[in-house]
Amino acid sequence: MSNPLLVLENVSTGYFSQTVLEEINLKVYPDDFIGIIGPNGGGKTTLVKLILGLQPLFSGRIYFPVGKLRTGYLPQATQVDRSFPITVKEVVSSGLKIRNPLFPHLTSTQKTRVDQMLEDAGLAGLASRPIGELSGGQLQKTLLCRALVEKPHLLILDEPNSHVDKKFERELYGWLGELSREMAILLVSHDIGTITPMVKTIACVNHSLHYHPSNQISEEMLKVYNCPVDIIAHGPVPHRVLRVHDDE
Amino acid sequence: MMMSEFFSIFEYQFFQNAIAAAVLTSVIASMVGTYMVSRKIVFIGGGITHASFGGIGLAYYMGLNPFAGAAVFAVMTALGIEWISDKGKVREDSAIAVLWSLGMALGIIFVFITPGYTPNLMTFLFGSILSVGIPDLLLLLFFAIFLVILFLVFFRPILYTAFDPEFAKTKGIAVSLYRYMMSVVMALAIVLSIRTVGIILVLSIFTIPQITAMIFTRDFRKVIPWAAALGAFGSVAGLVAAYALDIPASAAVIFFLTIQFLIIKAFFMLTGRLLNLRLKNMFYRYKKD
Ligand SMILES: Nc1ncnc2c1ncn2[C@@H]1O[C@H](COP(=O)(O)OP(=O)(O)OP(=O)(O)O)[C@@H](O)[C@H]1O
Ligand SMILES: [Mg+2]
Repeated sequence: MSNPLLVLENVSTGYFSQTVLEEINLKVYPDDFIGIIGPNGGGKTTLVKLILGLQPLFSGRIYFPVGKLRTGYLPQATQVDRSFPITVKEVVSSGLKIRNPLFPHLTSTQKTRVDQMLEDAGLAGLASRPIGELSGGQLQKTLLCRALVEKPHLLILDEPNSHVDKKFERELYGWLGELSREMAILLVSHDIGTITPMVKTIACVNHSLHYHPSNQISEEMLKVYNCPVDIIAHGPVPHRVLRVHDDE
Repeated sequence: MMMSEFFSIFEYQFFQNAIAAAVLTSVIASMVGTYMVSRKIVFIGGGITHASFGGIGLAYYMGLNPFAGAAVFAVMTALGIEWISDKGKVREDSAIAVLWSLGMALGIIFVFITPGYTPNLMTFLFGSILSVGIPDLLLLLFFAIFLVILFLVFFRPILYTAFDPEFAKTKGIAVSLYRYMMSVVMALAIVLSIRTVGIILVLSIFTIPQITAMIFTRDFRKVIPWAAALGAFGSVAGLVAAYALDIPASAAVIFFLTIQFLIIKAFFMLTGRLLNLRLKNMFYRYKKD
């Protein structure tokens, strides 16, 4: 097996004195497609921010065995201010790392890369639109382009399916299927019914993390994991998810 | 008043200085104000503005330059507010309100206990654009040039930290550094503008031209030059009106900026979405070529 991109070892983190995640252990490999599920307030977003280096480390250790990790981050929708005067193209450009802090302009290769990205995503016609004039799906697409423009090793998506319609959701999952061949993906979602058929493995996050090395998960297991996700209420075809491994 | 008599006002040095000050202040406010309006932190600007009055009072009491006192208080307040919001331990808006009123209170106490000559408070509250001298103008000019260079060189990190700081951090941008730097820039821009438009009116020159510009464009990059042009036009018109109607200059400037906003807003509303959309489409098409 190849080396992991990222290792979390006995990690704890939180806010001020409140510890939100405790004793987290997780390895992410280059070909991983991990679904992260858990109840509201369970700490999914906190875990994502920890991986991205946005959270203080209370204890434990995070390291990157194969060197510096390029990440692409699609934050939870509420993080982005839609009324901010910024265009689609500018948002996508912001996904490119600044090479020289004293001359932080886009290089011509980077400019071409942004145009290519917009073209590929079918956003070229909206390039100079302010983000306030986009539909929910178009905005998510823009933010996904921002995450992808630098060809990340690890793509992290925090509930990409909230505030978008079913059509966009299907489209999105189609792309993720393709992208998962090129990069590792961490997909946070409440909607375990829809994500389980695509992801390879599942992690339940509720104060602690339970890693489940398969995409088949039962309600029983979630109970054992102390991960009260309401399977029945979510997902169009719940029994597909509920099926217990019958080969065991 | 005869036409020629009316235009002769432009020959006076003090009036030329006032126009230069209005234009330079508009340029400074266009950049800093667009940053403030976009980030929705105009209230922080209010806190900085009023807290600086404490510095003015203290400087008077100690016999120092009041604007130096204002600058020190403004920068400290701005850094303090940024620190509070960075740490998130106190409610930011309440902290601003405290600094806002405390600054005003300190200012009044110090002015009151300063023996002898009591400074003309009106000068600070409403500015004194008609008595701006060459040193003031040079200071405004240098700061405006500094800001233009800063925004030209560091445009991307400034914009990205304002738009989505968390994401910017994941791309290795020194977000805290930029936030603190912009706080200091905001404080200095506000203090320099107090000289021209005064504490009570300073916020409007940082917001009205910007929201007017945002009727035309919602692209940060373009809001700035639009805001500079609208601010300069409105404030020069205000100065002329102040002379013609014999009313206080800074109040007339703000009044004109507001009228300008209302006229443009009304125009866009009356001509309807149709024309608005057509103009925008033309603009996008032009952009793509
Ligand atoms: N900025 C913050 N300051 C203080 N506490 C926070 C902050 N953000 C989150 N928390 C707390 O941390 C816990 C985990 O929050 P987190 O956002 O990680 O949950 P989540 O699993 O992503 O929830 P959701 O499904 O609602 O997005 C919650 O109890 C929340 O109250
Ligand atoms: Mg979350």
